Amino acid sequence: MMAKVLMKGNEVIAEAAVHAGCRYLFSYPITPQSELVAYMAKRLPEVGGLFLQAESEIAAINMVYGASSAGARVMTSSSSPGISLKQEGISYLAGSELPAVIVNVMRGGPGLGGIQPGQADYFQATKGGGHGDYHAPVLAPATLQEIVDLMQDAFDIADRYRTPVYLLGDGMLGQMMEPVEFKERAQMDLGPKDWATTATRGDERKVTNSLFLDPQELEEHNHRLQAKYKSIMENEVRYDTYLTDDADYIVVAFGTVSRIARNAIKKARDNGLKAGLIRPVSLWPFPEKPFIDTRDKVKAYLTVEMNAGQMVEDVRLQVEGRSPVYFYGRTGGMIPNSDEIYAQIFAIAGGDE
Amino acid sequence: MADDPRIKIIIGHFGSGKTEISINLSLFVKEQHAKVALSDLDVINPYFRSREVRSHLEKFGIELIAPQGKIATADLPYVSGELNRVIIDSEYKVIIDVGGDKDGAVALGQFYNQLKNQDYQMYFVVNTKRPYVSTAEGIKETIKQIELVTRLKTSALINNTNLGMETTADDVIRGFEITSEASRLLNLPVLYTTVSSHLQEETKAFASIHDVIYIERFMKLPWE
Repeated sequence: MMAKVLMKGNEVIAEAAVHAGCRYLFSYPITPQSELVAYMAKRLPEVGGLFLQAESEIAAINMVYGASSAGARVMTSSSSPGISLKQEGISYLAGSELPAVIVNVMRGGPGLGGIQPGQADYFQATKGGGHGDYHAPVLAPATLQEIVDLMQDAFDIADRYRTPVYLLGDGMLGQMMEPVEFKERAQMDLGPKDWATTATRGDERKVTNSLFLDPQELEEHNHRLQAKYKSIMENEVRYDTYLTDDADYIVVAFGTVSRIARNAIKKARDNGLKAGLIRPVSLWPFPEKPFIDTRDKVKAYLTVEMNAGQMVEDVRLQVEGRSPVYFYGRTGGMIPNSDEIYAQIFAIAGGDE
Repeated sequence: MADDPRIKIIIGHFGSGKTEISINLSLFVKEQHAKVALSDLDVINPYFRSREVRSHLEKFGIELIAPQGKIATADLPYVSGELNRVIIDSEYKVIIDVGGDKDGAVALGQFYNQLKNQDYQMYFVVNTKRPYVSTAEGIKETIKQIELVTRLKTSALINNTNLGMETTADDVIRGFEITSEASRLLNLPVLYTTVSSHLQEETKAFASIHDVIYIERFMKLPWE
């Protein structure tokens, strides 16, 4: 077991990927995730891997397609505008059933936006930013230590289901520093990648492809994909709750925002308001259970995000109108503070009435 | 701190604590001197830079030399030419907060000709809990690369070994031992150890036999 080290979020993502067996990174630098690329440029050659700075994000995602086809554990990373460029390639990965991990260290948008943190790519990540009927599992860590675990999960899910997987964080998570420990975790037995295009030896020809010109064949392919997504929805849901058992007001937040929300919840509790937190860790598949468990008991939910209201739609789907769902968000790289969140809880609870 | 140069240049590995030390040093120096300037030369980090505490520094009358207004958060490696003014004006005490590693130190290199004949010292900040500088050899390698791009010589080491809020007195002591080993390897003195003020009690024994400066943390997260 390694001793604790003080690391930056972007470095932790990189080192955690190395620990998870990732040996290839194809990326193009972009703030606020460039430290990830810089770290890997130095780190991957030390473990016999390779980092290649592609000429563009589009090139990078297609290099991922190639390496994944050959059976490698491979990753690409970027921040919001760069992830938009990768969408075609992500759809192709999904269509060709190729495992890969895509890291998005989000910044404020739309367009070039800014370089301060944001969570406005929730829709893009969870609802399929590329074309076609596909999903990609999305994992959203809140602490640097959690990145270590979720990165391993991300690679394992990718290989097990042969799917691209997102690790979704914001610029704050990428830039902040915290002590972390890299515990050695037993590698999951995922079996051989017998589909990989590692050359034929006179046996069956292997092709990774998303082209199906026969509509019936393409429909059958889609049925297979949907069955796979159903299995992911059954097996790969992750979430965390805090003080929800007796809560009248539940804050729903993911990633770094959940840590700010916790402070607001403590303050609410100190002021006699029974508040709690649901933190979805897998944003797709979105957790149902914590909402089923609470939606008939609570007085209201408050979703807090660094966007104009995206995850709140999934919260409303799960709550099914059984309880009011409010939203509070900041955009453009502005970060909600715990007093603002507390003020929202206070107002929802009736304020000074 | 018998040796007190007019210009203190703070270099180090990426994320070693240069910004926190620079802000604290400028506040200490301001207690004794009228004209103090802190230069934020960080062209590497997009967040958590000296410029984020501008109003706090201005309250104490410290001049912050850093990109201002819109440029302050631009994704550009922008260096203010104003640094020349305080390097040349001998009435100023100057602290230069350099970006991490050789990549950050490149921004300092352009001031070589202005700095070389001034009363300056360059301090390398060590945090042995950071990857790549956890050994004396790693520290030596990083210093070598920084000196190559800046053309300036390192004067001393500062032991700033910490694990953020999880730091223990043992971490500080172990960091001091590795820093001392690097000091012998590089033939450079250990100037002092910087410790977060919340560890004052735990590090009492260490501070009674070694030079320690207690520092406050300015780069806080929204939940702290």
